[in-house]
Order: sequence, then structure tokens, then C-alpha cells
Amino acid sequence: MLIEIVGLRLALGGNPILHDVHLSLHEGEIYGLLGPNGAGKSTTIAAALGLLQPDAGQVRVLGKDPSVSAHEIYGALGVLPEQNGFYDWMSAEEYLAFFAALHGRHPGPSEMQQLAAAVGLAPRPRQAIGTYSLGMRQRLGLARALIAEPTVLVLDEPTNGLDPRGRREIHDILLGLAGRGVGILLCTHLLDDVDRLCRRVGIIVEGRTVTEGAIADLVRNEHRQVRFRLRLAGEPPSELAKDGHVSVVAHEGDWWIVDLDPAATPEAAWRELMFRGWPIAEIARESGGLEDLYLALTERRRHDRNFPDRPQGIR
Amino acid sequence: MTATSLIARKESGELLLSLRGLAWLMAVAVSLSLFGLLLVSNTELSLLDNAQVVYDMVGIVTALGGLLSLVVGIDAVAGERERGSLVPLLLTPVSRDAILAGKLGGVAIAWAVMYVLALPYLWAVGSTGQNLIQGMLVLAVVGSPVVLGFGFFGMILGSRLTSARAGLFTGLITLIASASPLLLGPSLRQSAIGRAFDAVNPFSAAVNAYDAVIIDSQTIASQWPHIAVAAVWIGLLLWLARSAFRRIAR
Repeated sequence: MLIEIVGLRLALGGNPILHDVHLSLHEGEIYGLLGPNGAGKSTTIAAALGLLQPDAGQVRVLGKDPSVSAHEIYGALGVLPEQNGFYDWMSAEEYLAFFAALHGRHPGPSEMQQLAAAVGLAPRPRQAIGTYSLGMRQRLGLARALIAEPTVLVLDEPTNGLDPRGRREIHDILLGLAGRGVGILLCTHLLDDVDRLCRRVGIIVEGRTVTEGAIADLVRNEHRQVRFRLRLAGEPPSELAKDGHVSVVAHEGDWWIVDLDPAATPEAAWRELMFRGWPIAEIARESGGLEDLYLALTERRRHDRNFPDRPQGIR
Repeated sequence: MTATSLIARKESGELLLSLRGLAWLMAVAVSLSLFGLLLVSNTELSLLDNAQVVYDMVGIVTALGGLLSLVVGIDAVAGERERGSLVPLLLTPVSRDAILAGKLGGVAIAWAVMYVLALPYLWAVGSTGQNLIQGMLVLAVVGSPVVLGFGFFGMILGSRLTSARAGLFTGLITLIASASPLLLGPSLRQSAIGRAFDAVNPFSAAVNAYDAVIIDSQTIASQWPHIAVAAVWIGLLLWLARSAFRRIAR
């Protein structure tokens, strides 16, 4: 396991921030750390990085305690922090060379260009960072995190300030890294990013992990159906209200509104429908899934004092 | 190149290449120009003995050097933390001591730049009289540890306080308080409190050494008690800076 946090408790200046946080990140996994503003996500990350000392609980990164073996861990770690500052008078090339050297690496010009190109900085590597847009700064921060070829990446809002194309490019980079075995802890408010990138998530509310596990399992455990709109190129072969894992809710012209069984994955359900002769031309999500789960859990925590302290999905 | 020298080079870049650093250097140069101009053009001040003029200029260079070092020291920690560039540096596989050493190197480079900048001004006001070279040397030997100590003090403030502004405010008050020997009258300095303050205050040690070497033409080697005070000052602050920097959380 790359990162393991169990029962983390932490107070800052006498104010308790984290009460009971759990988290586990495996090799080749992108793990989504979610929660409302002020829930304790950044504090959790700071504790995982050894920048804050826990009051109780266990934190292990690459099997080591970050507050004791920080420098062994940092060599294999790439981080894009929430507040991501740069040396504005340097060029991107100088900046990346500086951090590479601190990691004991001296990449050649072609390697630097390759890295810059991968994150979309290639056209202006010599320009002073002070003139960069927010999106360009995010890309540079990601390049810095990748410069040491890390085993673990910790990213706090990595797509913040990026346009849709930029977001998609970063998604592709992260999926590629996970495919090569890099574990990525992704802290974000953008549930679309989590939906696209993560298989497992942890949701923190008021310093407690209220749920952790595979998104599909969590949605299923909450008995949340996911509603989709399907546009059909013709009539379906049957008018059954329930066909396999799909329940038809309504039908308006070419569009069919269906609920997906929580136990089924969308891809498998669409494949099954197409196999049965449904001429599906377009699919759009209506509601349900991670967003509803997130809203329900964060809202419940706010209003329900009897909400269980032990997170779901953790044994 | 070691991590420490890389960080020191980066810190010197902050001073010499960033707008913020260049603005501070410009302010120092303008202050020295104004003071130098005053010494040579003002009717009363131009009547001062040449050694006295060098002594005054060396004192001003020390005070401005202390201020510049203090600002650079605070900015190296609290300023970087506010700009969000400290955490990525702390998360590199470089020990805290090596990062601190690099940042202290940045303070030393800032003082070296300021010292070189001050030499033409010293020459301009003191080239026609005695003890100019001794004045430059005593500034290097006794002034440097005092000035660098303020830089280290700035790093302590930057590590302990949450904002650069709070650090700068606290640092300025301390700098003005310790520079008060320049403002105290002779009778107050001869009182028991004045003597006790003089004995432990690094600024007093520097000013007294300047007085002895530039005005009274004593040797620099004979100023060992003042050099010892300056050495204790910088050693103590180095120890405190190390302790404070190790405790930086985020």
C-alpha cells in the first residue's frame, strides 16, 4: 500500500481539525479525496506529507512514518499543493531544472522539453513564470510534481483554472501515470474529475471520513439509482418497463429516461441493451451516482447528530 | 552543485532578479546616495573630520545592511510561505538543515552585494583622509556578523510568525531598539543601564569597534571583545534559526 491513514486525529493551535480520518491508496490507483470546504482534506494531506504531526492514529507513506522518514519518502513523492507558488522571475525551464537538481536528477534538454510538452508548457518554456496564466501555473506545478518520476502523486485541485481541453489533457496524463503503477491521491471539488478518474473515493466531513470505498459499491450500498437519458435511433425491441439492469421511467420521442440498477456498471448495462437490440445513439446522465451520494452524505452529517461516526466501507 | 548552494543561488536570484529584490537594493542605493551627498555638501557636516565622516558612513551601512538582511531573512521563510513556494521546497528530499543553510547563504549574498555597493560611497566620502581601508575592513570583520545576525533573526521571525508583515513589524522594532546606541547621548551611554546595554548589544559592539579603529586608529585585532560579542550574537541566532526552521509545519 502506498499511503495508509488509520484513525488520524489532529488539532491545530488547540482546535481539533481531524477527528477520525481513514484513507488507503494502492499502486496504480487514483483515489479521490472529497469533502466540503473546511472538512479537513488539506490538513489530511499535510499530515500524510509529514508537514503536520498527528495527535493520534497512524500515517504510513510507502510503509514509512512521514514525520520520521520524511526525506526517504520525499524522493519518491510528487506533490501539487493547494497553494501552489513559484519563483516568478525564473523561466519554467530554470524552475524545473532547480527542482530536478534538488531531487538529484539532471535531465537533459530533450527530457525537459518532453516533460514540458506533456503538461502543455512546450511553446513558452523560457518565458518568466510571473507572466503565466493560472492554467499555465497549474501545468507547471504538475510538471514539478512529475520531475522526480514519483511513485506517489498527491494532487490538490490539479485541474483548477484549466479550460476543458486542458482538464482533459491532465486527465489523460493522470490515467497514463496510474496505468504505469503510480498511485495518485486526488483532492478536488470537481466530481466530474473524480467520476472520470477514480475508482475509489473517501469523503471527509467535519474532520471524519464518513465513507470510503469503490464508487460503485458506495452508490450501491446507499441504494442510489443512477438516472440516464438514452436517445434511440429507432424503436427498442420490447416495451418492457424493466429490461435487465435498466428500468424505463419515461419515454419522450427519441429519448428514453431509464434508471440503472445500482449493482450494475453503466458500460455493462449499455452493452447488454445493445445486445438485446436497443439502437442506442446517445447517452446522458440525468442524476444519481457520486454527486447524489456526496450531497446526501455531506448534508446528512450537517443535520443528523446520530450519523454514525464509523465510516462506511471500512472494516 | 550541492542542494545548499543551489538554494543559496536561488535566494540570491530573488534579490538580484526579482522586482521585489531590485526595489530593495535601489532603496538602499538611494539612501546611501542621499546620506553621502549630505555628508559632502551640507555646510556643517562638511566641516567634520574625515575619519568621523567614514565612521558615520560605516554606521549607516551597518544599519541599512541590518535592515536589508532582516527583510531578506523574513521573506525567505514567511514571504515564501505566503506566496506558496515554501512547501514545494520543504517537500524535496533535502534536509531542513541544508535548506536553512541555503537560505542563510542567500542572506550572506545579500549582505555581500550591499557591502560591494557601499564601497564606492565610502571611498567618495573618505578618500581624502585617513583610515578608509581600516573602516572598510572593520565593517567586514565586525559589521558582517552583526548584519547577518539580523538576517538570521528575520528567518526566526518568519518561521515563528504567521505573516511576513507581522515579522517585518517585529523585526523593525527590534532593529531600531538595538540601533539605539547611535541615538543615545554620551551621558546616557555612560550610565549603568547604558553600559549594560552596550555590553550585550551587538550593534553597540560594532559601533564601538568602528569608533576605536576609524577615529582612534586602533588595530582591528585589539577589538576582540567587540568581535566576541558579534560572534556570540550570530552563533546564538544561528542556533535559534535552526531550531525554529525545523519546527515549520506548513
